[in-house]
Amino acid sequence: MAYAFKAIKANRLKTSLIILSLVFSISSIFLITSISNGIVSMYSSMLKSDGDIIITQKNISDTFFSNVNINLIKRIKTLNEVTKTSAIIVAASIVGDLPIVAVYGVSKNRFENYKLIKGSYPKQNEVLLGKSIYENLKNKNEVLISNNKYKVSGVFQSDIGFENGGVVLNISDASIIFNKSASMIMVNSKIDTDIEKLISKINLLDKNIEAKSTNSFVDNYNQFEIIKTSSNVISFISFCMGLLTIASILSITINQRKSEFGIKRALGISMNKIVLQIINESLILGVFSFIIALGISSLVLYFIKNSSFLHGYVNGEISFEIAIFILFTTLAISILGSIIPALNASKTDPMVLIQGDRI
Amino acid sequence: MITLKNICKNYDKEVVLKNINLNIKKGSFTALVGESGSGKTTLLSILSTLLKANSGEIIFENQNYNSIKNIDKFRQKNIGFVFQFHYLINYLSVKENILLANEKASLEEINNLLSLLDISKLTNSYPNEISGGQRQRVAIARALINNPRVVFADEPTGNLDSKNSLNVFNIFKKLSKEGVTIIVATHDKSLAKLADNVVEVKDGQL
Repeated sequence: MAYAFKAIKANRLKTSLIILSLVFSISSIFLITSISNGIVSMYSSMLKSDGDIIITQKNISDTFFSNVNINLIKRIKTLNEVTKTSAIIVAASIVGDLPIVAVYGVSKNRFENYKLIKGSYPKQNEVLLGKSIYENLKNKNEVLISNNKYKVSGVFQSDIGFENGGVVLNISDASIIFNKSASMIMVNSKIDTDIEKLISKINLLDKNIEAKSTNSFVDNYNQFEIIKTSSNVISFISFCMGLLTIASILSITINQRKSEFGIKRALGISMNKIVLQIINESLILGVFSFIIALGISSLVLYFIKNSSFLHGYVNGEISFEIAIFILFTTLAISILGSIIPALNASKTDPMVLIQGDRI
Repeated sequence: MITLKNICKNYDKEVVLKNINLNIKKGSFTALVGESGSGKTTLLSILSTLLKANSGEIIFENQNYNSIKNIDKFRQKNIGFVFQFHYLINYLSVKENILLANEKASLEEINNLLSLLDISKLTNSYPNEISGGQRQRVAIARALINNPRVVFADEPTGNLDSKNSLNVFNIFKKLSKEGVTIIVATHDKSLAKLADNVVEVKDGQL
């Protein structure tokens, strides 16, 4: 291992290039994984805090397109197992001078989800602003949404980052703006309720709806699948880039160190030992790059989280699980990327030493 | 110690060695001399297991080269190499370069060898901090650390001035007197005279 450190130190330029490219690859895996997990986790938390069952329009690809008749709430309330129902319209619109902002039209019994830090909950023609959006708006007294003016009733703060970048108003006002009754209806049930039975009962109430348990909804939500798949694809591309960079730069380095491996072969050092030395060198670079990438990614995520420009929409934290997963990914990049150069090094014919002028 | 029987070697259609028969005694100092392209380096490479002959047999203390299963172990145990260029690894110290050939060697063994070669103060120096002659002596120390039965040297004085060249040959002479078999390929006939046996290679034949 000490020799591996010395070899790394002796090939500073190429070592720096390997570390630099690995840091880029690992950081991009860190950032894309953390941010996508953050988005999924924030939206999941929002949905999970709202009930045991979520009702949307049947056969829609996204909740943004869902339109459920809010009057269904009255019929759902007649079911014995139900303790609470609420409705929400999830949409996005130009708000004041901001080009795109999440707008939540909610039933009154859902206001308690938003922790007031200023003013009061909105009445008709009033809006409650998330902390981030409040700080970014020039006019803090009233906002323009789809050519309608709304008075700002107060400001809320949420633990769910992107809610802080949103606008909350009464569902009746949102219904007029977005021309729909409700995007989703959320249902809370009594303890020990058989959720699947209750879902069946709700589905019988209207042929145009689809009720799902919140967990099932979150697990199968198309947008989450798209985010996760995109994240995995980008991570895989970064993984391949890291792999190819290590393989190509190490190959060049090894070609330049041919006499070193030739003399080792001539001295009877086994091929396995030479392979192990190159893999060791690559692993050291991998672990070093991982530490740098972890630091850079944490810093970038901190700035993203606290950027007023992003209104809290983009958020991500590096969990222990993500760090461990990416550490193993880095080790895999280091090992796989160094295998071909290492095998080439181990196969160096000691005859190159006799043909010295050709090395 | 080493017996060559009808050794032939050719590269494609070019015949380099023709029916070489040679017997090298244990503890002898043999010089293979010849002009450039005569085949002496090819012969040395075959003798030292770096190259395989197309036909013929080499017997090393009753062991046929063709029957050796682990050539790495065989080299590590029996053979020491000294090349025209020292091939020391620049990022390793003199001591570490020597340890490459035998990582179990003690510091005392290394120091004894360095004293024998009159470079005892260079233990912790790096190759780029010492002279060409000193580097070649370190390369000899590296070749000897395993207590090999035979040391092969290919043009070991090719990059040295006449004083250092003579020193290297004197070291080989001293080693052979201590029982190490030395086989050197050189084009310098005056230095070759210091060897016990001089074998001239001409057009692939002895």
